[in-house]
Amino acid sequence: MRYLLPSFLIALLISCSSYPKKQGFIKAESPQQQVKNPYFSDVSKDYVYKAAIEAFDKNFGGIFIVKKLAANQHRVVFTTEMGNKIFDFSFLEDEFKVNYILPQLDKKILINILKTDFRVLLSEEHCIEKGFKTNSNFLYETRIGAKKYYSHITENELQKIVRVKNAKEKVEFLFSEINDNIAEHIQVIHQNFKLKITLKAI
Amino acid sequence: MRKLVYLMLLLVSTTYAQTELTAVEATALKAKVKALSKQTETITADFVQYKHLDFLSNDIKSEGKLAFKAPNWVKWEYVKPFAYGVLFKNETLFINDDGNKSDMDMGSNSIFKQLNQLITASIKGDMFDAEEFDVTYFKNDEGNVVHFKPQDEQFATFIKTFEITFNDLGEVIAVKMIEPSEDYTQIIFSNRKTNQKLSDAVFTP
Repeated sequence: MRYLLPSFLIALLISCSSYPKKQGFIKAESPQQQVKNPYFSDVSKDYVYKAAIEAFDKNFGGIFIVKKLAANQHRVVFTTEMGNKIFDFSFLEDEFKVNYILPQLDKKILINILKTDFRVLLSEEHCIEKGFKTNSNFLYETRIGAKKYYSHITENELQKIVRVKNAKEKVEFLFSEINDNIAEHIQVIHQNFKLKITLKAI
Repeated sequence: MRKLVYLMLLLVSTTYAQTELTAVEATALKAKVKALSKQTETITADFVQYKHLDFLSNDIKSEGKLAFKAPNWVKWEYVKPFAYGVLFKNETLFINDDGNKSDMDMGSNSIFKQLNQLITASIKGDMFDAEEFDVTYFKNDEGNVVHFKPQDEQFATFIKTFEITFNDLGEVIAVKMIEPSEDYTQIIFSNRKTNQKLSDAVFTP
């Protein structure tokens, strides 16, 4: 009993260590109110990516297409290289609509995962709840939908968004090769099950 | 009002641009395409693909090469703006996605079987007798256009109509796959060479 209480406290302290702290960030006054995600924000652009999806030991590819139709309104379509539609989703504010999905993929659990992931990619403004800093890099705690996310701003660029649970990264969204507000390379990596989406702008 | 008149004129002229073939003309076209298909041992061609999605500002353009060897080997290879090849050979679909290779047994998948049949047939054009389709024949400025409507309900959820355009020689010059949503994929062939010697190595997965 004598040893149990301190070790319990230590365990509690470790598990309570926050995500920012684990990443080496310290609390800082946030210089801004919102994190801006500019990567799918231009209505005049057709965003077209070659996609590679690794899902549960199966690999497949296709063309991933995003179009911003109006404020807070996007269309997301995935087709095979030969043009056949695999899925076609509409996002409007908090609403979501499946315009088409291949019957073999029409599973509620899969659609929910895709919906949650794509909403993160598409949402342009994330209200900052807390700010953290290390050197010149910022980390912002935000909320997208009902879930808590952290946005990493490095050299004034949004390079990473992570969904965190118990201070552990559950889903990572990585943006790189950023030119003129377009992320030429995007990865969505799930840590708690095998799902990885890699997008390369074409 | 003036706009309405223009619109009506446009509608009339578009309808006029494509007229249905008479039974005699349709039979003649079928005979021409079949005769050509019978003599065809190999085909190579370049293609440009346009993916039209109604909400996009521009169609998505990709380019590639096609190789065919009778009776049914088909290599379909995109080179721009990405490298991706599919090879249909002996009931198997081989995929080469920028160096990542995989394959799929089509024998167990009726959709893929039909897709393969459609691709092979559409390269040669000879699929008029396929029971799976409702076939109608038209002519326009470019030549003849034949519309194939899938009968199978499951297949019809992928493709509403499949249109093949033939030149005067009976060669396929364009293929258009229209989805139930009216979005479509259009493929235009060029630089077509028939019956040139084509090594089996071209069709190595």
